[in-house]
Amino acid sequence: MRLAADPEIEEFRAEFAAFLDANLPTAEEAVPRAKSSADVPPWAREWQRKLFDAGWLVPGNPPEYGGRNASLPQLLAHAEELSRRRIYHSFNPQGVGIIAASILSFGTEEQKQRWAAPILRADITAALGMSEPGAGSDLAGLRTRAALEGDHFVVNGQKVWTSGAHDADVLLTFVRTDPTAPKHKGISVLLIPTDTEGVVRRPFGSIAHPDDFDFNEVFFTDVRVPKENLIGPLNEGWKVANGSLGHERTLLWLSYAERLEDLIRDAACDEEWYATLLMDFQALKLLGYRQLGADRNPAEVSVLKLFGSEAVQNATLRALEAHGTESLLHPASTAAHFHMNMEVFSSSWFERYARSFGGTIAGGTSEIQRNIIAERILGLPR
Amino acid sequence: MEFEFDEDQRMLQRLVRETVAKSRALPEEQLWSTYLELGWLEAPPVELAIILEELGYAADPTPFLATATWFAPLAGRLPNGSGTAVFDGVGEFVLDADRADEIALLTADGVVVREGAEVRAERVAVFDPTIHVARVEQSELVAGVPELALMGLAISTVGSCRRILDLVVAHVKQRQQFGVAIGSFQAVKHKAADMYVAIERARALALYSALTIAEDAPERARAAAMAKAAAGECQRLCFQSGFQLFGAMGYTWENELQIHLKRAKAGDLLLGTAAVHRKALLV
Repeated sequence: MRLAADPEIEEFRAEFAAFLDANLPTAEEAVPRAKSSADVPPWAREWQRKLFDAGWLVPGNPPEYGGRNASLPQLLAHAEELSRRRIYHSFNPQGVGIIAASILSFGTEEQKQRWAAPILRADITAALGMSEPGAGSDLAGLRTRAALEGDHFVVNGQKVWTSGAHDADVLLTFVRTDPTAPKHKGISVLLIPTDTEGVVRRPFGSIAHPDDFDFNEVFFTDVRVPKENLIGPLNEGWKVANGSLGHERTLLWLSYAERLEDLIRDAACDEEWYATLLMDFQALKLLGYRQLGADRNPAEVSVLKLFGSEAVQNATLRALEAHGTESLLHPASTAAHFHMNMEVFSSSWFERYARSFGGTIAGGTSEIQRNIIAERILGLPR
Repeated sequence: MEFEFDEDQRMLQRLVRETVAKSRALPEEQLWSTYLELGWLEAPPVELAIILEELGYAADPTPFLATATWFAPLAGRLPNGSGTAVFDGVGEFVLDADRADEIALLTADGVVVREGAEVRAERVAVFDPTIHVARVEQSELVAGVPELALMGLAISTVGSCRRILDLVVAHVKQRQQFGVAIGSFQAVKHKAADMYVAIERARALALYSALTIAEDAPERARAAAMAKAAAGECQRLCFQSGFQLFGAMGYTWENELQIHLKRAKAGDLLLGTAAVHRKALLV
C-alpha cells in the first residue's frame, strides 16, 4: 500500500501522454461529432487507426491487434490518461471493447483477421445484439432462433436496445441454437453483417430527445448467416457472454469516476450533499485501484458498478435540485466543452440526471448487482 | 498509487484475526498483555488500522484504541501502561480517562502528560457498557484532534459494522420462514448488499486515511475527515438494516448483536458525527 505510483507504470503513462499530446485531433479537426455508438466520422476513424498502429488502442492486446501486451495496472493508466482529457480511444466503444475482444478471445485465427482487426482499425463498426423484448436481466432467456441448415444458420427473432445498430456494419448476435437444452446451454454467437437480407434495424429516440438515436430494435426474418460466422463453439455462447468482458468490466468504474469528477467541477458548492460526492469519488477510486489485485473475487466488480453508478445518479440529482428553476433550461450547457467528448455530458442538468440511469440499468441493473453481491460475496441462498 | 495490502500486511491481518478469535473469552488484563507482547501498540498507521479493524470486530474491551490513537500521537511516545488524551478543548467524553495510567492533555501551553491518578476523571454512564468514557476536569484545554484518533475510531467502527453484517448473514441463512431461509428473499439480500457496499466504502476511506498519515501526505486532514464521516454513515445503515434484518431476536439483551450495534453507534458519536466531518470537507 502506498500513495506514490509505480515508476514502471509512470513511464508507460508518460509515453502515452506524449503520444496523445502529439496526435490528438484539434477542435477544428474533430467535426462532425459522433451521433451514435457506432457512428464513427472520418476524423475519428483516422484517430482510432493512429492509436491502433501505435499500439495504443487496446494496450492489453498483442501488437498485431492494436496493443502492446500491457498489464492491468498499465491499462488503468492508459484509461486514466484518456479520461483526464475527456476523450475516447474509439467512438465505437462496444465494437472495440466487447465485440473485437470476444472475437480475439473465442474466435478462430481467420475470424480474428477477418473481423476483429477491421473493427479495431475502424474499417468497420460493430454493435452488440444481446437484449430482447423478453430477455433483459434474464439474458439467458433469449429466444432469437438460429437453425443450422446446410452451411448456413437461418435466424429469426428480434433484438432491442442494440446500441448503434443502425450505424453498424456487423452485429455480434446471441441466438438460441438448441431450444431443447437448458437455457444457458443452447445459446451461440453469430456475427451478422447488417446488410444481410432480412435484417431490419429501427432506431428509436431516448428520453433525452426524439432524434437521439442510439438504441435500435433489430428484426431478423429468415436471415441466412454463413456457418463460418459462428464465434466460439456451438451452444457455448454463454461462455462468450461471460468471458470476454473481463478487463472492460474491471475498468468500468473509471467512467463513473469521470462523471463524478465532472460533477465535482461543475456543481461545486458548500451544500451538504457535495461532501458525499467528494467522498464517493475518493472511495470509488480506492476500490477501483484495489480491484487491480490478482486475487480479487470477480463478483466485487458488481460493488464497483453498483456504487459508482448510484453515486453518479445521486450526485446528478442533487446538482439538478441545487440549481433550482435554472435546471428547467434545456438545452443548456452545464459543463466545460471538451471537443473530443460526446455532447451528452455537457448537456442540461436534467439530461445528465436522466442519462445516469444508463449506469444503473444497462449492463446488469442495480437490483441484479445487489443479488450478485448477496449471493456470490455474502453467500446468501439463490 | 497502490491500494492493496502487501504480503507482510496480509500476514499481520491473518495473525490478528486468529489471535482475536482465539482470545475472545480471555479476561481483559490477559488480552491487554497479549497485545503488548505482540507489539501491536508500536504498529505504524496502516498496520495499526489492520489491528484496530479486528479489535472493533471483536468489541475489544481494553484501552488499546485510546492508548494507540489518542495518547501516542499527542505525547509522541507510548505510555507506561495504558494511556489516553484530552484534545477536545473541554474534557468531555474522554475515552478511558477513568482507567488510563497516563493522560496527555492538549493545553494552551502545548501537550502536558500526567499520571492518570493525578487527573480528576469521572466515568459517565453511556449506552454502550463495554466502553469507558469519562469527564476530565482541567482548565486551559484547547482543541486539536489528531488524525490518527479519527482514523482509529473510523476503522474500529468499520470493524463493528463488519461484525454486524456477519451476524446478520449467519442469521438470515439459518432463519426459516415460509419454508425457506429468509436470506433467499430479495428484500433481505438487497439490504445486506447495501451494508456490504457501505462497509467497503468506509473501509477504503479509513485505510486511505491511515496511508496518508503513514506518509504524512498533505491530504491527511481531509482524508481523516472523510474516513470518520464515511464510518459514521456506514454505521447508520448497518445499525438500521442490521437490527431490522435480525427481527425481534436483535431486540434482546442476550443476543450478541446489541453489543456491536452500540459499539458502532458510539463510534460515530465520539469525536464528531458524520455530519460534523462532512461539514469539515466543505471548507
